[in-house]
Amino acid sequence: MNTLLVTSTHESTGKTAVTLALGLLANERGQSVGYMKPKGTRLQSNVGKTLDQDPMLARELFDTDAEMHQMEPIVYSPTFVEGAIRGREQTDELREQVQSNFDDLATGKDLMLVEGGGTLSTGGIVGLTDPQVADLLDAQVVLVADYTQPGDIDEVLAAAEDIGDRLAGVLFNRVADTNYDELETDVVPFLERRGVPVLGVLPRVQELAGITVEGLASELGAEVVTDAPTDAFVERFLVGAMGGDEALRYFRRTKDAAVITGGDRSEIHTAALEAPGVKCLILTGGHRPPGAIVGKAEQKGIPVLLVNSDTLTAIERAEDLVRGGRTRDERTVELMRELLFDHTDVDALIGADEGASSTGDNEE
Amino acid sequence: MGELSELFAPETVAVVGATEREGSVGRAIMDNLVADFDGTVVPVNPNYDEVLGIECVSDVGAADADLAVVVVPPKIAVEAVRQAGESGVRNVVVITAGFGETGSEGAARERELREVAQQYDLNLVGPNSLGIMSTGVDMNATFGPDNARPGGMSFMSQSGAFITAVLDWANDQDIGFRDVVSLGNKAVLDEADFVREWGDDPETDVVIGYLEGIEEGREFIDSAREVTQDTPIVLVKSGRTDAGAQAASSHTGTIAGSDEAYETGLEQAGVIRAESVQELFDAAQMLGSQPLPERDDVAIITNAGGPGVMATDAVGDSGLSMASFSDATLDAFSEKLPAEGNIYNPVDVVGDASNERFRNALEIALEDENVGCAVVLSAPTAVLDYAQLARDTVELSEAYDKPVAACFMGGERVEPAAEVLKDAGIPNYFDPARAVDSLDALSEYADISTREYDAPTAFDVDREAAHDILSAVKGRGDNRLGVEAMDLLDAYGIPTPEGDIVDAPTDAEDVAARIDGDVVMKIVSPDILHKSDIGGVKVGVSEADVYDAYEDLITRARNYQPDAEIIGVQVQEMVDLDSGVETIVGMNRDPQFGPLLLFGLGGIFVEILEDTTFRVAPVAESEAKAMTEEIDSAPLLRGARGRDPADVPAVVETIQRLSQLVTDFPAILELDINPLVATPDGVQAVDVRLTVDPDQL
Repeated sequence: MNTLLVTSTHESTGKTAVTLALGLLANERGQSVGYMKPKGTRLQSNVGKTLDQDPMLARELFDTDAEMHQMEPIVYSPTFVEGAIRGREQTDELREQVQSNFDDLATGKDLMLVEGGGTLSTGGIVGLTDPQVADLLDAQVVLVADYTQPGDIDEVLAAAEDIGDRLAGVLFNRVADTNYDELETDVVPFLERRGVPVLGVLPRVQELAGITVEGLASELGAEVVTDAPTDAFVERFLVGAMGGDEALRYFRRTKDAAVITGGDRSEIHTAALEAPGVKCLILTGGHRPPGAIVGKAEQKGIPVLLVNSDTLTAIERAEDLVRGGRTRDERTVELMRELLFDHTDVDALIGADEGASSTGDNEE
Repeated sequence: MGELSELFAPETVAVVGATEREGSVGRAIMDNLVADFDGTVVPVNPNYDEVLGIECVSDVGAADADLAVVVVPPKIAVEAVRQAGESGVRNVVVITAGFGETGSEGAARERELREVAQQYDLNLVGPNSLGIMSTGVDMNATFGPDNARPGGMSFMSQSGAFITAVLDWANDQDIGFRDVVSLGNKAVLDEADFVREWGDDPETDVVIGYLEGIEEGREFIDSAREVTQDTPIVLVKSGRTDAGAQAASSHTGTIAGSDEAYETGLEQAGVIRAESVQELFDAAQMLGSQPLPERDDVAIITNAGGPGVMATDAVGDSGLSMASFSDATLDAFSEKLPAEGNIYNPVDVVGDASNERFRNALEIALEDENVGCAVVLSAPTAVLDYAQLARDTVELSEAYDKPVAACFMGGERVEPAAEVLKDAGIPNYFDPARAVDSLDALSEYADISTREYDAPTAFDVDREAAHDILSAVKGRGDNRLGVEAMDLLDAYGIPTPEGDIVDAPTDAEDVAARIDGDVVMKIVSPDILHKSDIGGVKVGVSEADVYDAYEDLITRARNYQPDAEIIGVQVQEMVDLDSGVETIVGMNRDPQFGPLLLFGLGGIFVEILEDTTFRVAPVAESEAKAMTEEIDSAPLLRGARGRDPADVPAVVETIQRLSQLVTDFPAILELDINPLVATPDGVQAVDVRLTVDPDQL
């Protein structure tokens, strides 16, 4: 059996999507896949048991019947961390629990995917950083990293040092067009000279960077008051709190934006509807905008969402959604699968030979 | 007659949705049409055999109408219009509301309505309209309570309620109309269409309107320019202030557009803008009834010293000037007026003036060829017969063919005189300022009617290269371009300093070697807005220092803004700012009027002094030239205080070339060349920033 642990230099670099997409690719190659996330970090509340969406999605994708608490034995909440610091948690017991859950989940599997929690160093308090987990479970490690400028490589090297021989390689994710060439021609050879293998460089694709208006509406619990299509992607949020004329200039300068403003600011609404980069209007305060505005939005094909919260709360929640870069659905994973297929040596990574009984059914 | 002549003079009107039900719109329109209309009214309603005693047909095809007025509920209104189109009716007024103004479902319905209108080539008014009126055929196809009286004003309004209010008031004032249109949602016909129609209509003396927005600003300008050669247009537009703009947006979903654009657009169109409803009608009445002044010098004849001063102040505030009388006039005044009177303008005939003295003074003034128009300003006295003064005023105004505004102050005493004046088309005002303002509108229109409009110059440009440069925005995280788009200006023949953008220090040296003298080096990054704040600009770099300067600029940018995307470093020829004037040439695309060009004093003064002027592009040479003459700092360009004058023709040409660029590329949403340095030897565009809509490329 092959075990891969996916970790990252920063939070929200796309670990979940990469982990689950690797699982899909292995499935396609006839491997049976298991999933584990020893430290749950996507918390709904500070206390109590959470429903981390990552294991739930894994369960659907890999069609396993593993229990949530098995896949995610530790809820790495602030409460847990406080307790650990006060000595209420026994490191040895926790390590044992992770090990035994892993053994159960791994039974009969060709490939075990272990998703790291937060960043590389998360879990140090209980002796379970991602490299420590990798040692415990005898896993090869995939390091997912961002790249915007050469200075980012310092962190990659430090992480590689930390992981040591278990490092299968670095996977650069969501690399912007403008940085792609620099990374491929200068940085990758540099890393390889330093003995750090690079598994692939995945380009930034909009569908993974943003959130659809539909997704936004459901995450914000918003009412959609138009029939305009809601499949556009939003990557940033603008607050409309200036005069109409000034607002228009401001809105025109951005791309793939949602404008958040009060339901009564119709001059802001009309300015936003005029700007090509505005994909959606989020109106706060729960008051319906005038009919003429909804009609205009409909005419322009821009959806209007109504939320009950105030503007500040709405923007915080919306920003969290985009910054969190959450893998919300199968579609995200499917997109990542395609990216991995196109830009990495999948077989080398997941060990295609291991699923020897299968002929592989990769249709591409 | 124009394309819409049948709309306003139909022989048969079908009322689709006619009913006898009291209080319904269908009933109100039937009542209004039946009461006065010269032609035939055919009710259309499958549920009735007759409506108000008139035989009712079940579908519009059977009505054989040339105008269909649709009042059926929104769900079946589009179908009713389709049937009208199918049966050959070309003119449709959709009274029914519940379209784009109501939201989602309504917007879809309005789209459908527009498609049907297009399919059958319909002249369609509305939807969500009060209706139309035309006094030429005594037609009141509205559901308002009053019919208009005949007159020479044609009136359009984006608010139906405003029409009913105006008609009630106008009837009281004896003000008449030719055609009245409630524009409604302007799904098909808009203000430009009606302006054109009324320009072609010999019975329309003045076009007036209340608008909350203009649909196609440039089309409107072009149509209005033609019309205002013969027919004045006076408009009042609401939503001037921020609060007003918000109200207008929620009323009709109209984007405010900037007031600068509106002001500029109307000025270029030759439209007179009224600030209030009162100004609108004061100007319209005057324009409809009085001759145009041949000059803007006004004589004020008064028996009341105080009001005379008030009127003079009003002249000072207006575009008019106080007439200077000829010697002959002064002699005549000396002879006819008592010693305590004032023979200079404002002419004071003194409180004890008789009708004869007043009349003599007015006649002397109107006789003077230095006088273009006059204000007769009086307070009631025991020795003055107001009605007689009114008759004298009318007679002299007609005899000398010069416009006269009356300001007979008072209440009850004025009424008989006001009647006399009104019959002759001379409005009487209590307030001297209103009298002066109405003359001002006449004088403004006199200038407009003699305007000549040149065609914009078409320069030889490299449009393809410009397109490629603009396309760089497609790969960006936002819609902005900066100095990396300098070549765009070159492609349109706007001079830029020699230089290039490089991404290696050795390349920077190569560029510097090509340039005579020291260079300016700037970091190029869409994310760094204030380059000089982070030390991202180096001035006067010698060739030997270029390599180090490059490294230093990159390092600074990385240090101060690690996330910033850095395109490279611009190495540019030094421009001698001391010998030139820093100006700004720019454009901001207005949602209603399109590209609004700006010219002004540039550099760091733009935001402080705001010495700028605007035009809607495209502009002709004469307009570009006027821009350079209009700013307060124009003397700087002409060479103030012993400096050599700047090359103004080069500035004028740059404005025209920019005008061509932004007209060619609707994708350019805003663009600023700041500074455009104007020296005695020409101009150089030193920096440029623009916002581009990638979807329009």
